[in-house]
Amino acid sequence: MLRWLLRRIGAGLVMVWLVATATFALVSAAPGDITQRLNDVRTPPAARERWRRDFGLDRPWGVRYISWLGDAVTGDLGYSWLHHRKVAGVLAQAIPNTILLAGLGLLLEIAGGITLAVVQLRRPHGKGDRAITLLSLTAYALPPFVVGLGLLYLLAFRFPLFPPSHMLSVAGETQHGLPRLLDLLHHLVLPVVAIGIAGMGGVARYLRGSLLDEKGQQYVLAARARGASERRALISHALPNALLPLITMVGMSLPFLVSGSLVIEVVFSWPGMGQTMYDAALARDVPLLLGGTVLATIAVVAGNLLADLAYAIADPRVRL
Amino acid sequence: MRPSSWLIVTATVALTAVATGCRREGPGVAAPATAEGPRRGGQVIIGQPTDVSTLNEYQSAGDSTEYAIIDLMFPTLMVEQPDYQLHPPSFAPRLATSWEFSQDNRILTFHLRDDAVWTDGVPVTAEDVRFTFTVQKDRQIGSPGLEFKDFISTVEVVDPHTVRFHFTRVYPYQLMDANDGHIVPAHAWGKVPFDRWRTTDFEPIMVSSGPFRLASHNPNQTLILERNPTYWGQPRPYLDRLVFRVVPELSSLTNQLMAGELDLIQGIPPREAQRLRGDPDIEIVEFPSRKWGFVAWNNRDPLFADRRVRRALTLGINRKAAVDAVYHGFARPAVGPVLSSMWAFNRNLPQLPYDLAQAAGLLAEAGWRRRDSDGALVRNGRPFVFDLAYPATNTLRAELAVLIQADLARLGITVRPLQMEFTAFVAATETGEFDALLWVWEEGTRVDLTGVWSSPSETAGSNNFIAYSNPEVDRLISASREEPDYTRSKVIFDRIQEIIVEDQPVTFLYEANEIVGINRRIRGADINAVGVYFNLEEWYWGQ
Repeated sequence: MLRWLLRRIGAGLVMVWLVATATFALVSAAPGDITQRLNDVRTPPAARERWRRDFGLDRPWGVRYISWLGDAVTGDLGYSWLHHRKVAGVLAQAIPNTILLAGLGLLLEIAGGITLAVVQLRRPHGKGDRAITLLSLTAYALPPFVVGLGLLYLLAFRFPLFPPSHMLSVAGETQHGLPRLLDLLHHLVLPVVAIGIAGMGGVARYLRGSLLDEKGQQYVLAARARGASERRALISHALPNALLPLITMVGMSLPFLVSGSLVIEVVFSWPGMGQTMYDAALARDVPLLLGGTVLATIAVVAGNLLADLAYAIADPRVRL
Repeated sequence: MRPSSWLIVTATVALTAVATGCRREGPGVAAPATAEGPRRGGQVIIGQPTDVSTLNEYQSAGDSTEYAIIDLMFPTLMVEQPDYQLHPPSFAPRLATSWEFSQDNRILTFHLRDDAVWTDGVPVTAEDVRFTFTVQKDRQIGSPGLEFKDFISTVEVVDPHTVRFHFTRVYPYQLMDANDGHIVPAHAWGKVPFDRWRTTDFEPIMVSSGPFRLASHNPNQTLILERNPTYWGQPRPYLDRLVFRVVPELSSLTNQLMAGELDLIQGIPPREAQRLRGDPDIEIVEFPSRKWGFVAWNNRDPLFADRRVRRALTLGINRKAAVDAVYHGFARPAVGPVLSSMWAFNRNLPQLPYDLAQAAGLLAEAGWRRRDSDGALVRNGRPFVFDLAYPATNTLRAELAVLIQADLARLGITVRPLQMEFTAFVAATETGEFDALLWVWEEGTRVDLTGVWSSPSETAGSNNFIAYSNPEVDRLISASREEPDYTRSKVIFDRIQEIIVEDQPVTFLYEANEIVGINRRIRGADINAVGVYFNLEEWYWGQ
């Protein structure tokens, strides 16, 4: 077990290094750099040259790569060129916002998906099952921004029940304690639902399949023979086994908690990683891009690792 | 939206009906009404698509929304007036109460107010003006405006309220160059070594001296400015607060203005403006911006090297129709290299007509023939084909590209619209690797044709990325920069414009209007070409 863990962590580190290197190569090869932000008729190109010297962009890419890698190994991700602050500071501000939004969205997605699948299998192939299948396939197929814009139109503008954007209202910005928390929750509803709806359909479809498989298994029949109700046989006996593949799904979703959904963040003006990384890419803010990518890769590696560990715990047949 | 997705939306309503108690804020928390006249208090919520990247002008890339916010927090020596239509801009006092030139015009002396203070109570003095100058000139800080100070050798502190600018030459824009850039606090920011400025976050050491000061900044969300109680200028603002909200999605900006979540947005796309026109609560303010758009022909490219060809391309594009179709009347056709709203504009310039016959004639003169088989325009067996690039995020320019493609097809020319990511698009101008671009410049209030129209030099880069070169234009531009009397330089500018229009190095397309949407209850706003917040101190909430 320990050897397995060490091997996986070692492989994970190599993966992080490879992704960071590939990102560096891509950004270096992409046309343009941070100095393209200087795009004013009054600004002479000499200003761009000064910026290139300041940001070290006049050095060969090999030198820049080694110098970044050397700092990164010691945990120093450098300064963001766009925000004039430490990369770690910029990320530390954006990540909690994204984890909050994406985490709640993921929770809704899973809870909603499980509920839908269980409801469907009360009467497989019945009317309710077919209706929910249609709905979940539709939700699965809809791009998140369509869901987001639909929600906005309906619940923020047509019937203004929820605020259309941001984490806090203007008044909430200066409040503290409970009023601030309530304001935040109020602002969370629409983006969380937008994320949840888009994912819910997928989870429901996935789970319905595995639940149907489990339902036909002999142990479920045995449970019913022992007098367990239809509902108990489904929820207490079949569901736990059907949930196993879900562990992988959740593990794979972990990076989403860190990298965020650009589309949902833009539609709802949510100051998370999606927006931060998009701005960084547009501005060619190399240190911030690299820092964010490293973090997202770590999340992918950790997600897979955790999923495997969880599998081993949940399913005694799996040995590490 | 399809009916099936409405089902989802309806289902969502059911799922999320457990809403918290909802409340919508009014646009401002205004003080109790007085009988007549302006009232103190309230806040204006302004929506903009991006956050500021810094509040220190000398770290900034010169983004105009960022600059406008900095302008509310930091003073300049003088305030430029919106009179550049008539003559080079004049100035009103701000930090300086008066100024005068020496006999030989090489020394400019400013007399500063003695009651100006920074937000921490420290007086604003001549030392701050001198410190700001060293910041502007420092190569490590690398301020984009460094070149504006090229002809200022030193700034000398005479006494705490008198400061002298020493010029190395006499030229028309001495006042403007001396005034360029906001004054920053020597006592607070002087402690940061210049080689650390690029990596320093100035918000924690924010000391300012404008009508408003920083209250809070939540990155990518909300920037709040509040009235600065130590402000020394007149008039003092009526508003308590200005709230800048980041809303990255353009249609959301309009929707939130209409819903009363925002009180003011600017840079409204023409189509959105049409939508806002029907709203009784919103006033649309429109004024000539200093942005103009053109087709940049790469003059290095053999395809566009011949001025007869470039002229034919202009004649072959129905510019008025295209601009009207895309801008819904919020732009005017452009004529030449000086904006029609500038004092130096040559009012006798001819607007080239849309004339296919004349265009075909010029192309024939340049050796291009229609091929019988498919009607394509060819020379020496090679067809007339080029890429017309535009930035991916700009739908207006995408529409223009398609209209230009259709127009030029009538001459047998194949235009391939090419969408590019914005930064790559800007980078193409630097490398010169493009055929033709749909480009936009935003002019300053100074008329200086050097950067864009003088021949690019062999050694240094240039904003003349199309590599237009005409020795006569070079000579006249140099002369225009030396001539201190603007009535005489006007004659030179008139001639330059004639030659450039004759050469058609670019196809002049449009001069865009800036469109601002503002809540009708805001009174006293004089929004003009100098800036949206030109007289923000005088804004107040009406009944």
